[in-house]
Amino acid sequence: MPTTPLAKALNYWNRKLHIHIGLFLLFFIWLFACSGLLLNHSSWKFASFWEEREQTTTLTRIQLPAPLDSALVIRQVVRQLGIAGEVSEIKMTLDSVDFRVTVPGYGRNLHVDFRNGLCTQKAFRFNLWGKLRTLHTFNGANKTHPESGPNWWVTTTWVLAMDGIALGLLFLCVSSWVMWYKVRREFGWGALVLGLGLLGAGYFVFLLRMV
Amino acid sequence: MKKYYPLVRTLHLYFGLFISPFVLIFSVSVLVFNHAGFFDRLTPVKAIPVERIKLDGIPRDTSDLLTAKAIIAKLGIEGEIDFISIKEDHISFPVLKPGLRTKIEVDTRTDSVRISRQEEGTLRATSYLHTMPGQHNARLRGNSIFLKIWKLLADGVVYLLLLLTASGIFLWWCLKVERRLGLAAMALGVLLFSALLLLIF
Repeated sequence: MPTTPLAKALNYWNRKLHIHIGLFLLFFIWLFACSGLLLNHSSWKFASFWEEREQTTTLTRIQLPAPLDSALVIRQVVRQLGIAGEVSEIKMTLDSVDFRVTVPGYGRNLHVDFRNGLCTQKAFRFNLWGKLRTLHTFNGANKTHPESGPNWWVTTTWVLAMDGIALGLLFLCVSSWVMWYKVRREFGWGALVLGLGLLGAGYFVFLLRMV
Repeated sequence: MKKYYPLVRTLHLYFGLFISPFVLIFSVSVLVFNHAGFFDRLTPVKAIPVERIKLDGIPRDTSDLLTAKAIIAKLGIEGEIDFISIKEDHISFPVLKPGLRTKIEVDTRTDSVRISRQEEGTLRATSYLHTMPGQHNARLRGNSIFLKIWKLLADGVVYLLLLLTASGIFLWWCLKVERRLGLAAMALGVLLFSALLLLIF
């Protein structure tokens, strides 16, 4: 079958991009592959992190804003303590507000008592393995309010990076099919191997819930 | 080095083709995790009408998991038991399959069972698979055959992906014309990677 110049150009760029996007994503792939393994093998002793976590409790006097609005109080507390991170699990009562400020591997549970203006900060810090695990899942998603996205600009940046990596991996997969198709006569088993992969993945995603 | 090129290329191609559909699952699910609100609007979860059944006795076994398994076997339901909640006269547990969530609530006084199902769809099926087996409830995890197989597959995919990165570097290095641009792409990736980690930590 004759190859048109357009097909030639597409093949050329497909191969080139496959190589260079793959190289660009190399460290991200290593990070997510290794942290994924850690998440799936919590029994690996060398990577234990929960037992090794450092915990501290500090008490700080806080200047509270006049209207005790949760968003205002949280902003004020975070600013006065000089901390930053993804804010979650906010619980407000008439007398206090509780919330969590998280950075991968470092979390702070804060309790602000409106009656005495004191902020109790219970912090926990993970080791490298814990940091890797939390980095894998750090996207600021709120399970009860999925509409609300991340509230820390660093989380948003990380989410964008994860989206980019996912799209890059999608491209690497599809481009590999195109590249194989070009050499399918030389690599005849490719159809079977790809078919097996598609069948296996398709079974889990589409068929399993129907049987 | 050149003499290994054909072998490495063949392995890279076949392993890559085999894991590519699984990598697609992991990649698509990342987008689903990160934009849950959007995907909830796009494909809302569908609730299937509740079923009520009366059993001729609740099968009791030596552990909560075995009891829950005996109950679903009696009901003809298959799937991964996510967690088990036992109260004085109540046993309840979700039974999961990718894209389908079934909740079983058993009243042990009357032997009646309430079965509620949610059709979660294909996209949520990918995100469920992405999180499995995961770090939670390790003691229970893998109580269904499909999850035992998936666990092996998920690990295999990751190990093969790591192998593919190594073989990819080898193949790229053998292509002299791509070296300079490849080094630039890798350097750019390292730069972005380091910058992001510095920003976060």
